[in-house]
Amino acid sequence: MAEVLNLAGIHIRYRVRVRNAGWRNRMREIEAVAGVDLAISEGETYALVGESGSGKTSIAMAVAGLVPISQGRLAIAGTTVEGLSGDQARALRRNVVMLFQDAVGSLSPRLTVRSLIAEALRLRGVTNKERDGECRRLLSLVGLRTDLMQSYPHQLSGGQARRVGIARALALEPKLILADEPTAGLDVSVQGDVINLLVRLQRELGLAVLMISHNLNIVRLIAGRVGIMYLGRIVEQGPAASVFSAPLHPYTSALLAANPHPDPEVEWRPPQVKGEVPSLVERPSGCEFHPRCFHASELCKTTFPSKVVGDPERHAYCHWPLGLDVPVQSVQS
Amino acid sequence: MSDDVLQVRDLSLSYASPRGRVRALRGVNLSVPRNTIVGIVGESGCGKSTLLTAVMGLLGPKAAVDQGRILFDGQDLTAMTPHELRSLRGHRVSMIFQDPMTTLNPVIKIERQMTDIQFRERGRSFAEKRTRAIEMLSRVGVSDPQSRLDGYPHHMSGGIRQRISIAMALLSEPDLLLADEPTTALDATLEVQILDLLRELQVSMGCSILYVSHHLGTVAQLCQSVTVMYAGTVVEYGPIRQVFRDPRHPYTQRLLECDPGRIAELTGPLPSVPGRVPDLVDLPPGCIFKDRCLSRFGPCDDKTPILLHRNDGQGVACHLEGSGPAHG
Repeated sequence: MAEVLNLAGIHIRYRVRVRNAGWRNRMREIEAVAGVDLAISEGETYALVGESGSGKTSIAMAVAGLVPISQGRLAIAGTTVEGLSGDQARALRRNVVMLFQDAVGSLSPRLTVRSLIAEALRLRGVTNKERDGECRRLLSLVGLRTDLMQSYPHQLSGGQARRVGIARALALEPKLILADEPTAGLDVSVQGDVINLLVRLQRELGLAVLMISHNLNIVRLIAGRVGIMYLGRIVEQGPAASVFSAPLHPYTSALLAANPHPDPEVEWRPPQVKGEVPSLVERPSGCEFHPRCFHASELCKTTFPSKVVGDPERHAYCHWPLGLDVPVQSVQS
Repeated sequence: MSDDVLQVRDLSLSYASPRGRVRALRGVNLSVPRNTIVGIVGESGCGKSTLLTAVMGLLGPKAAVDQGRILFDGQDLTAMTPHELRSLRGHRVSMIFQDPMTTLNPVIKIERQMTDIQFRERGRSFAEKRTRAIEMLSRVGVSDPQSRLDGYPHHMSGGIRQRISIAMALLSEPDLLLADEPTTALDATLEVQILDLLRELQVSMGCSILYVSHHLGTVAQLCQSVTVMYAGTVVEYGPIRQVFRDPRHPYTQRLLECDPGRIAELTGPLPSVPGRVPDLVDLPPGCIFKDRCLSRFGPCDDKTPILLHRNDGQGVACHLEGSGPAHG
């Protein structure tokens, strides 16, 4: 399978204004993404999971070219982006489309559905004459009636707006879809439709999907591999089935336990984590999860953990990985 | 009946809009017994927030109660003067809101916000009020409460702010706490901590909680009984285990099926409920769910089903319920 996306040692830094810091050092640099390696192949669904501030959206934005990468290498469809001219980079990025979290907000309120999709078609070089037909084809591909072509975004429901967003994305014939919280703000009874559509398109068109989500139930069902992010690092990565059934990292385990089971017969599990996600301005020392971890030791406070490999496809960064009955070998990263 | 702290009886409520009256609640019945946590589940536009706002007496000028009563401890809230309402609100009934970022006043220190809210305790000195505020903060798990009092809301994280809002809601030791999606704006690992806190506080303070959410998992884990709402009506209610194990109303059944948390492995497409919630200005006749219902039959088209109370404590508003064993 051809690799659609490859990130190697990606760092993304932002300069932010810090409150209560005196006038001299008010501007600080925070590292929203701190060394992420990630590869996605054709036809694969990879999910990044994490809480706010974990850097998952920053990664998607960087892949889409919306925020600059401070350090590291990004390759799309086998071509390294760095060193390309503006035109070349734009042409390469046409392989990547982003579905934004706010589906209605990402559509211009003054354009009809037809113009919204035609705009993307023009970029692909579809002639004026063919655009109407192509627009119809895309709308029916995402399961929308073609008489919606003359509607404006405010006339659409949340689910319809998401489908228009997907149709617009497909107009570019991408290889990779970046889906930022594809079900955020949708009711339970309609979120299934949007997910089904993504899954179907991926199968039919062989697309790769990088999904960002905090909905663990959806991720568990549709993702092939997952990366669990915490403070800008992927702390655990592997096939979704094994990560969900036997997490190595205590943070993964805490996240899974924080997903209340929709069955009243299942007993209440007390939280496996304390406190909140710390600020990126003051990253904790050692293992960055140690202030919240119930398994933390003195070692965790001082030393960044090395990579622990569960099986060839799985790894985590932890001094005391869970489930030690599984043979675990530690390697230096 | 006097062991219910809150009873909503046949409540109908509408909002004025340019297109006509939006009939947001129609014939809603709900009971909250003492010392229990009752959940309201429903999707957007089902009227769950409107119901809480009505109980709190915070409806805007465009809203009007068309019929029905809201009985708090036997007193009808809809018949009260604004002054009488004010003596209950924030005192015997208090509320936790969805967004902890906007519930606290940004320009007033936590100390003053937490002592001001004790204005009813005339005999209490400022120092006593302050001590109580500190006690309450440590009770809801805020670390270092003394120095928090000196800060402004923007100094604190979302989780601490939501804990402060809960502490403020509990300072008056209310009989009824209304919680409108109190964890939606919070991260997952924090959500579970806040839910754990609500469970623990409900037992230790002996109050009742009316918890509103669209998240089936949190309702299943937190509540003892649940009311399911759809498009402004109650379609089903009952003890939590019963409703989740044996939902009687087609909407409840479909809603539970759609929850990805209840699907062990994906074998086909994810289930969903096709169609949209009907227009609440121009209500169709008959059952409100009929257009999206798979079990629709004769009477659904023109007769509105009434909420039937069953012997086992469950209640269902569906024509199937009266017409024999049609349920799976």
